[in-house]
Amino acid sequence: MNAAPVHVVLISSHSGHYTGGVKEFEIEAKTLHDVIRVLDQRYPGLGEHLEEETSVAIDGEIHEVAYFHPMRPGGEVYFIPKIEGG
Amino acid sequence: MDAKVIKPEAEGRDDNALKIVGTSPVRPDGVPKVTGLARYGADFALPGMLWGAILRSPHAHARIRAIDTSKAGSLTGVKAVITSADFPEQKYEFVGPERVAINFWHMTRNVMAREKVLYEGHAVAAVAATSKAIAEAALRLIEVDYEPLPHVIDVDAAMQPDAPLLFEDMITRGVEPPPKNASNISKRTELNLGDVDAGFAAADEIVEMSFKTAPVHQGYIEPHACLARFDAKGQGEIWAASQGHFVVRAFTARLLNMNIGDVLVHPAEIGGGFGGKTVIYVEPLAAALSRKCGHPVKIMMSREDVFKSTGPTSGSSMTVKIGARKDGTLVAADGLFKFQAGAFPGSPVMNATMCGFAPYNIPNVRSVGYDVVCNRPKSAAYRAPGSPISAFAVESVMDALAAKLGMDPLKFRLMNACKTGTPTAWGPKHAHDGYAETVKALLAHPAYAAPLGKNQGRGFASGFWFNNGGESSATVHVNEDGTVVVATGSMDIGGSRASMAIMAAETLGIAYDDVRAIVADTASIGYTHVTGGSRVTFATGIAVVEACRKVIAELCARAAMIWKLEPGEVIWENGCARPADAAAGKLEPMPLKAIAAKRALTGGPIGAEASVNAGGAAPGFATELCDVEVDPETGGVKILRFIVAQDVGRAIHRSYVEGQMEGGAVQGIGWALNEEYIYDDAGRLLNAGFLDYRIPVASDLPMIETVLVEVPNPNHPYGAKGVGEVNIVPAMAAVANAINNAIGRRLTELPMSPPKVLAAIHSGQK
Repeated sequence: MNAAPVHVVLISSHSGHYTGGVKEFEIEAKTLHDVIRVLDQRYPGLGEHLEEETSVAIDGEIHEVAYFHPMRPGGEVYFIPKIEGG
Repeated sequence: MDAKVIKPEAEGRDDNALKIVGTSPVRPDGVPKVTGLARYGADFALPGMLWGAILRSPHAHARIRAIDTSKAGSLTGVKAVITSADFPEQKYEFVGPERVAINFWHMTRNVMAREKVLYEGHAVAAVAATSKAIAEAALRLIEVDYEPLPHVIDVDAAMQPDAPLLFEDMITRGVEPPPKNASNISKRTELNLGDVDAGFAAADEIVEMSFKTAPVHQGYIEPHACLARFDAKGQGEIWAASQGHFVVRAFTARLLNMNIGDVLVHPAEIGGGFGGKTVIYVEPLAAALSRKCGHPVKIMMSREDVFKSTGPTSGSSMTVKIGARKDGTLVAADGLFKFQAGAFPGSPVMNATMCGFAPYNIPNVRSVGYDVVCNRPKSAAYRAPGSPISAFAVESVMDALAAKLGMDPLKFRLMNACKTGTPTAWGPKHAHDGYAETVKALLAHPAYAAPLGKNQGRGFASGFWFNNGGESSATVHVNEDGTVVVATGSMDIGGSRASMAIMAAETLGIAYDDVRAIVADTASIGYTHVTGGSRVTFATGIAVVEACRKVIAELCARAAMIWKLEPGEVIWENGCARPADAAAGKLEPMPLKAIAAKRALTGGPIGAEASVNAGGAAPGFATELCDVEVDPETGGVKILRFIVAQDVGRAIHRSYVEGQMEGGAVQGIGWALNEEYIYDDAGRLLNAGFLDYRIPVASDLPMIETVLVEVPNPNHPYGAKGVGEVNIVPAMAAVANAINNAIGRRLTELPMSPPKVLAAIHSGQK
């Protein structure tokens, strides 16, 4: 893959069960799908957790987790708890 | 309506290009509501319909030894009786996001108690009968053998090691290693930014205070009600008022072990929800009764049922500490937030930990939350759930810290205001401005420096709410006469039919009155997430605009066919198709109505659907000013003036936006001054009605003033941000800070009712 590394941070506390507590990663990715796939390859099961149980902040903008989100070279991705409202 | 609009010139937008967005046309739901023609959940009926009634627990906490329904079942006119035995057991697992993770093992026990009742009002059985009177009589024949147990309601008491346990095997999640002993603490969460200890070491002034807030109900006027029926194939239909009929469908299907596609939910008009109707109570019971007896079954809650068995928001116990340098620069903040979850885990405490310090640029933050079960109904969402509670503590401390520093409370907030790029306690950097603009709006307001009289005081406070996006669907169909129907899957709880019609009319270039917006049932539109989180105008609005754009492309193609041009040679402008190039010849613009008239000749009906998973919902910020007068003899607090300055992105339906801001402020004032649950020693609620649970009424209040600050969201076609929630966030602290300004005493416990204010006046504490 010829893509720029993205700084990825897992805020969801449950993520630590998969990663042994590791929370920050540098991942080469063109899309959010790439990020999830790489993390799931390193920590099997983490991908499903991220897809089903988190939202994502991409350069500060909060989105539902979806494969198509493009990654900016040097961008920041935070997987955060989903937010519900009233 | 005293509204003021602030338009930061730096945004550089062209409001003149918008014709309908930002106006206040007649609301499509207005006349039906005021003439009584709107059909709410309780207004539906079917031939052969039975009345359902629910037996509720008289105990706050008791083990159910046995339930005997035989006498009730044999009463003439009774067609079905159900208990928890009629619902399949659910797997014990938390699914979905951790902030609001759903555990269906809990949910099925909340709608119908199994091993234990966990609060007064907890449903234990239900009947369906040919009349209300027979159904009520049948309830009295159901024999429940209870073993009463000690109960606990207060959050601090529930966290004690010797507290009565609601679940004897509950081990706190979020603590490593896990505790060995069970407790009522369901979960602990912690957010960290920077080094808090080092931050406080660098502080010149520190303020630390503890607070308690009462749980409060959303206070929607319409009690929960629904009608359910099953057909011979085992497929069910439900008519219900909710904040999300797709969620009603999914949860009911799950609790009854049905396929989602076998449940069809019709949205009824809703008489308020404020978050409290994002969950289910009566729907699975009516459906189970109907399935059992084959008749349609209607269940309507009473007001007492609503108070005793539906979710309020949490009561809390909090300690907040904030440090600043002499020049006013914030350096550290530490928050401890303990929230009542009610009978089952799932309070909004994580939101509280995330939102509390969010308006500020603080380099070092620790924010710890505890989710604690107790013997009262499970908490449900309430307008920016969690954020108003932590804001009461944080904004009170900010006010005290400003005073300690000798700074103006608004200017202190402004110098520490977050902006694009400011780190948040939960990790990402803010991606939008908007907060500072709300503070500046009040600094520029004449009320900011208006003189105060004797026993009067002025307070300020701010608040943050995320606002949501997510999944939404919309269809746009052109009628034969050129009028348009816009259908969405979003329940209209705050004016979304009006705002959808405005956005469709604006995009299509037609008159607002030519658009009819409706809410479609679960079989007629694509999946749409709940109306909550201030997401609908943003996310569903994007779906509507996308569907309109597809329709425009089709209209251009039809016009091209009529003109014998290529589709790419026609553009859409001011509601008409016109050739893109004058070389096409002298052709008069063709309006939508003319194209609709030739639809059959050009290919048939014209319409489009769009479904989105919308991201980039910019957050909401609000700053509020409150003037009060305190009666030194009674402790009564009179609200003299209340101003809401809120970043609304861009108002789509202006007066509806103002109404949201006014409503949020009023609910916050009620939370601040009056509202609380009063229990007897046995944990039974003593004030389950609006006479004794006192929400504000018009005579309690001045006209709420609104200042619409418009910092458009670039991620929405018209710049919209959610506007329904953040307005409640600062309100309690604004009132508390005003009372402090008036009497020189800081109240730290809600509600700030007259006895507490009087006691504070007479105390020596400052």
